[in-house]
Order: sequence, then structure tokens, then C-alpha cells
Amino acid sequence: MSMTTPIPIGTQVITERLGETMEEMYVNMGPQHPSTHGVLRLMLKLDGEVITDCIPYIGYLHRCHEKIGENRNYVQIIPYTDRLDYLASMAMNFGYVLSVERLMNQEVPPRAEYMRVILAELQRIASHLLWLGTFGLDLGNFTIFIYCFREREMVLDLFEAVSGQRLNYAFYRIGGMAMDFPDGWIEQCREFLTWFKPRIPEYDALVTDNILFQKRIRGIGVMDGPTAVNYGLSGPMLRASGINWDLRRNDPYSVYDRFEFNVPVFDTCDVWGRFLVRRQEMIESVKIIEQALEGLPSGDIQAKVPKTIKPAAGQAYVRTESPRGELGFYLVSDGTPKPYRYKVRSPAFCNLSALTEMMRGCLVADAVAILGSVDIVLGEIDR
Amino acid sequence: MTPEQFLEQLRTQFGAALTEAEAKGSVLLLTTTADQGYAVCKALHDLGFEYLNCLSGVDWTTHLEVVYDLSSLHHAAKVHLRVKVDRADPLVRSVSDLWKAANWHERECYDMFGVRFDGHPDHRRILLSEDWVGFPLRKDYTDERLVPYTDYGLEEKQAKTEAGKGAPKPTSAAPKPPAPPKPPAPAG
Amino acid sequence: MDAVSRAVESFYGLTTAWGIPWLIPALVIMTIVVSIILGYISVAAMFLIWWERKISAHIQVRFGPMRVGGWHGWAQSIADGLKLLLKEDIIPSRADKVVFVLAPVVVFAAALAGYVTIPFGPGLIVRDLNIGILYMVAISSLTVVGIVMAGWSSNNKYATLGALRSAAQAVSYEVPLVLSLLGPVILAGTMSMGRLVDAQGGTWLGFLPRWYVFPQIVGFLVYFTCALAECNRLPFDIPEAESELVAGFHVEYSGMRFAIFFLAEYANMFAVAAIATTMFLGGWQGPLTTQLPLIGVLWFLLKCYFLIFVMMWLRWTLNRLRVDQLMDFAWKVLLPIAFANLVITSLVVAL
Repeated sequence: MSMTTPIPIGTQVITERLGETMEEMYVNMGPQHPSTHGVLRLMLKLDGEVITDCIPYIGYLHRCHEKIGENRNYVQIIPYTDRLDYLASMAMNFGYVLSVERLMNQEVPPRAEYMRVILAELQRIASHLLWLGTFGLDLGNFTIFIYCFREREMVLDLFEAVSGQRLNYAFYRIGGMAMDFPDGWIEQCREFLTWFKPRIPEYDALVTDNILFQKRIRGIGVMDGPTAVNYGLSGPMLRASGINWDLRRNDPYSVYDRFEFNVPVFDTCDVWGRFLVRRQEMIESVKIIEQALEGLPSGDIQAKVPKTIKPAAGQAYVRTESPRGELGFYLVSDGTPKPYRYKVRSPAFCNLSALTEMMRGCLVADAVAILGSVDIVLGEIDR
Repeated sequence: MTPEQFLEQLRTQFGAALTEAEAKGSVLLLTTTADQGYAVCKALHDLGFEYLNCLSGVDWTTHLEVVYDLSSLHHAAKVHLRVKVDRADPLVRSVSDLWKAANWHERECYDMFGVRFDGHPDHRRILLSEDWVGFPLRKDYTDERLVPYTDYGLEEKQAKTEAGKGAPKPTSAAPKPPAPPKPPAPAG
Repeated sequence: MDAVSRAVESFYGLTTAWGIPWLIPALVIMTIVVSIILGYISVAAMFLIWWERKISAHIQVRFGPMRVGGWHGWAQSIADGLKLLLKEDIIPSRADKVVFVLAPVVVFAAALAGYVTIPFGPGLIVRDLNIGILYMVAISSLTVVGIVMAGWSSNNKYATLGALRSAAQAVSYEVPLVLSLLGPVILAGTMSMGRLVDAQGGTWLGFLPRWYVFPQIVGFLVYFTCALAECNRLPFDIPEAESELVAGFHVEYSGMRFAIFFLAEYANMFAVAAIATTMFLGGWQGPLTTQLPLIGVLWFLLKCYFLIFVMMWLRWTLNRLRVDQLMDFAWKVLLPIAFANLVITSLVVAL
């Protein structure tokens, strides 16, 4: 294909859409590419080495999640939610179960609430570890990948002990949890936390304090605070732009208001800020887990719920803080055992929509770093 | 401002255009028509609801609805706005100039429900391929490739156990699932 | 060594006595020497590949090759070489066939030709040229030609970009490299590799060896950094990076051709380590070299492999530099430092 033939996107021709001449070069990244973190296709418009436009194409992993939800009853949807953001399955379960409970006005026993928080925070650590490893890998640092996965394996071992699965746990239930912690799990969890706390300084020595790493990621992918709010960004993307907003603190759900933890906020507005936010969040999650383990009450882990879950007709939008940002579930019930409308507000979907603005003016080599900092998971973007 | 105060201000501004307006806890539940949708959104945006949490479509078989969930980072009030849209010709003005977050959400609403957003800068499908025909999340969406869902009698069984008749005897022949439709003839 | 030169002399004498023109024995000697060097490079490269995998594994808290051959998978490289030999030879249909085939040959030949002036031990140099170090640097810069040939002939826009980037990187880092090498040349007063090593014999104060790394520590560090860039090793491996947008220059190569690029990279690594050892770390100098000359070979190899170990260690610890940062670093940081080092050395020697 020569430089002067127009590039078709589906049935539309790209020149018409962008209204520019074909003097710049188009480079296609993906959908299969080692650094796009899933099946994402990026069309980069380059002027030499500088990116002038970036058009993301999604939908390669669209699995009709919402339509399937309309044909399943409320309990059957739980395993589907795992596969939304498959790197943070516990958080997906948590958000969904909370939204159904809001529709039904269902109470959850205190032990189950604490279990939910412990597992969600462990999941946050695992998700951020994977993000850190792959981010370093994209930049050429192979060792941090192995180190992060070593810790992540320990978290996955904990999850396997509690639910039987390393990934896609389907562990939360409406009104509680599926099973209680097995014997010795709490000690194993504490051992993991003891092992994990000195790991962050180890990662610091390898990447955070490494001037080459800092040079690569400082000053790129800039997104200032008000624009970030306008784009609906959430999670570490928002907190790295100076906006102090964490749903666990500002709109608490479950028992998060009982724990003391800091919300890391940096105002560098760039990839470096997002890196620091996620790194610090891992440390804060450790604090939350310790407090939760300390105060774990005894008792039931599942409230009495009817055999068939039939919430009264109504609607609810419930938002929780998943590792990627604000995860929202919008459920419309019509009194039947199946939801009338089931919508997932995915944090990575909104974060990715801001990618075009973040990429403008950066070099091609930065594209990989900026995309890595958004921390996308195509499972929840495409649903 | 409390949710009631917001409600007052909106009622004075729009009057009858807001077909439903009430405050439930910290959430303002509003309903309006397609032609007033943008004006209400703009008023809410100017009142300080600068964060668009979610924009989704719902298919009530008589009409479609675009649902806006708004909130603010500075006060605790939230808004749940439902804009009723005509099913035959679903057109509503785009709010992507007020909240850039609406850009992709509106594209998805168009993709799944067919609601057209007037003034959207990039009005095309987002999740499905460009040449897809039909709007899948509508309740009357059919496709010859869809395999009808069957729960193998689970709902019946659950209804029976709930009615207190005890565990039903296992049937000798489980209901056979319908044969999957033949794959469509290869194109070209 | 004397024994070697005496053997060569007697061989010449023998063939002259038999009436054979001088060209034949010269060619025979050259063939034998080249075979020895090629043999050494092959074995060394295979060892280095295995060693790199082991080092990277242990840095990453895992084991690396453990099975092939029994003890810690020592035969892994042999197995990999065999596998690459048996692969299908693919040449892209629109590639420039002649250039495509020649590119790996050029890269390997340039790496190989530099071994002529490496002093492996006292008297163990293929040819102790007067302009030894100049020859080595000049020949090793020919690898760039091979890389550009590889990128261009692949008929792949990304490979071409990668090759051009590699050429820009190599050329930029040549300048501080040569400037930093001039320091020891000034201190020794000669460019001949053999005499450079001889000049580093003896000790100061009875214990500190007279290696040039001590007065020329800045030059050594600059040289080492430029050497990493010349070999396309991390943190300077943009030309080979797969996870960057632009794939490397050797993306269209498979099988034995790829193996030749790989071998050339390790041969190049050994060559730059050898230059560093010769110029800065005293070459084959070490204890007991006067009593037992052959032990010089051991010291030389130990020093070379230590430097290679450091190169591998850096590769698995650091991340990649961006292309413009790479260029900035060469021209705005290394070049002024190397130049200042040269000026100061000259002043000190003159005074």
C-alpha cells in the first residue's frame, strides 16, 4: 500500500474523517502486539517521530456480556463478572454483588464484609503487581517482571486456598461469601504480608530510583486535573492528576470507613505520577488488610437470602473502587429473577477514551509507556 | 446545596419539562423528554455536576431511554437522569461537549441501541464492526446465529422447590436443547 | 611466544627447501590461524549464550537451563545451534536477495576481523600491527554497514527504521569511544596492542598494578558505556527491541542467518571486552607471568569475562533508553567528558 492510497477503516476512509492530507505516516499498532496489553488496535498518525493523533479501535474482545446478563438470573451472572476484568476478579464480583444487594436492600453479615475487603485489597495488590511487571517489561526491564510475578504467585496461592481458583474466582455471593477462610489461611496471609513489605524497597532499587526509568516516564502522557474529571477518568489516573478522589474514602461502601489508610495523590499529571500512585496504593492495601485481619469478627459468612433472588422493580447504580478506577454496575430490575438491563461502567473504558489526548505531541517510543500507564484490561473495555 | 435545593432550582428552571423529579437520599431522580435532555444536562453541568459516571441506554419496549448518572467531586449529591427517546426515530442531542466522557459512552449507546446523538464528533460504532446491521441490546433484536437460551428446566425446578413441594423427582428424559442453527453460508 | 615463531620459521624453511613458493605456506599458516580464531569464537559465543541465560536466570530468581547435557544444562547452546541449523531458510519474497544473504556475513566478518590484533597472551597475537587499536576500531565500525544492509534488504518498513536507528546510534557512540581510547594511547605512546600491554607491567608501591584503569578511570567508564552502545546491549538496545513499536533490524531473519547475527553480537561483545582489558585492565598482565608465560592467557580471559559479566548484569537490571535520550547522552554528555579526559591526560603527560 503506497503512501498516497487512503487507508479504509471499515467503510469509512480515514482521510475524510480526519480532514487532513496524507503526508503524515500511519503506523498501526496491534491488535496483536506485545505491548498493547490485550487486543487493542491503535492507529498512530506520525509526523516524523511525533504522534499527532492516536485512534484506538476496541471491540475485539466483545463477548456480549450485557446481553448475556439479561438472560441469566442474578446469581448466574457472578461468574461472568469475573471475566470482565480478569486481573481483578474479586473487585468485579464485589461491585456486582453490592449493586444487587442495593437493589434488594440486603444486609451482609460483618464477617463477610471483612472478608470482602481483605480479598478485594489482596486483589488490588495482585493487579498492581502485574501492572508494574508488565510496565517494566514494556520499557525493557525484564527483571522487575519476574520479581512482581513471584509476589503475585503468592497472592494467587492465597486465592487458590480460599476459593479453589487461581483466576476467575466467582467467590462473592449476594448476601455474603461462598465459603469461609480455610484453616491456616489467616496465618498464610500474614506471612505473605510480612514477606511483601520489604519487596517495595526492592522494586524501588530496581525501577523507582533508577534514573533511566525516570527519564523514560517523566513528563509524558500529561493530563491535567480538570480535563481528567471531564473525561470521567478515575482511579490512579485521576489521583496522579492532583484530584483527591477515592471512592473508598469519598463515597465509602462496605466497611471501608472503619479502616485507616492514606489515599496517595500526586500532582505531576504524567506517567510518573501514575506509577507512584499505584506503587503507594500497594503499601496502603497492606495496611488495610492488616487492620481487617486484626478486626475480623466471627460469625456467618452468608445472610439468609431467598432461593430465587427477585429484587423489587427498580434501578440502582453502584460504584466501587477497582484497581483501575470507578467500576459501576447499573442494574434495572423488573421483579423477575433476571435483570431487565445490566450495564457495566468499566473504568478502563473511560480511561482509554482519554488516550488520544494524552498521546498528542509525544514520541512514538512514549506510546508504549503511556498506554502502559493507563492500565487497561480489554476484558472490561469490550465486555 | 442539598439535593432538595438542587431539585427546587431545577423545578423552577424547567417546570413541566421534568416529567419526574424527586430526591431519594442523596440521589436526584429526574426524567425528561428527548428535546429537553440537553438543556437539563447543561443546567446540571452548570450546577456543579462535573463528573459523568455513566451513560447507558435502556430499551423499554414502548420507547428507548438514555440514562445519565452524574455526580460531583465537591458535594455528595448525585443525579440519575432518564431521557425518554422515541423508538421509531431515536434522536437526542449529544452531551459530549459538556462532558468528554460522554464521547465513547454515546458511541456505545448508538452501537447497542441505535440512539443517534446529534452533534457527536465521531458518530460511529465502537464495539461492533463498522458494517454490523442491527442494534443488539434492543429487546427485539434477532439474528439467525443466536442460539436460544435454555436453562434446562432450572427455573421450573426452582419454582417448584420454592412452592414447598419438596425436591421433584428427576425426570427420565431431560429436555433436549434445540439443535443449533446451521452456520450461515460463507459470504462471497 | 618464541616457540610459536620458531615453529612458523621452521615451517617456512621446510617449504622453501622443498621448492614451494612462499604463498602456499603463508596461506596454510593463515588458514590455521583463522581456524583457531573461528573455533575460539564459536566456542566462546556458545559459552556466552549459555552464561547469559544462567546469569539472567539467577538475577531473576530462577534457574535457567538445567537439563540439556546434565550439569546445569551446559549443552543448551549446542542444542539451540543445532535447532537453528535445521530451520527452514526463509527469504521474504520481495527482499533484495543478494543483500539479504550478504548482510549477516558482513556483520560477522567485521566482528571477526577485529580479532587480528587482540593479545591473548605474551606474544600470542595474530599480527601485532603498529596501528593496532586504530585498526580494531575502524574494522568494528563496519558492522554498521551490515546492519543497514539487513534492514534495507528486508523490504520491511519497520526493519529499515530499526536499522537506520542502529546506524545512528553506532555512529554517535563511535566518537566518545575513540576519544576515550586515546588516553591510554597517550600514556603508552604507542597504538600497538602488544606494546600497550607490555607498558602496563609492573606495580606501583609494590601492590597496585600499573593498569591504565587507575589514572584513566573516567576514560574507562566512558569507553565501557560506548562499548555497550556499539554492541546494541541494553540500555542501548533500541535496534533490537521487540516490545517497542519498531521491531529490530533482524526481524525478517530466521534459522542460521539469525544465528550468525547472534554469534556476531557475542563475538563483538568479546572483542570490546578484549579492547577494554588490553587498554585499561592490563591485558594479560598478572602475577606469575614471567615464570609461567601461558598463565597470561588465563588472566586475560578472566578479565574479559569479568567485563562481559558486568555487561550482562547491566542488561538484566536496567531498562531501555529512548532514542532521543540515547543521542543526547552520546553527544551532550559522553563526548564532552571524553574530550576533557583527553585534554587533561595530554596536559599531565606533557608536564
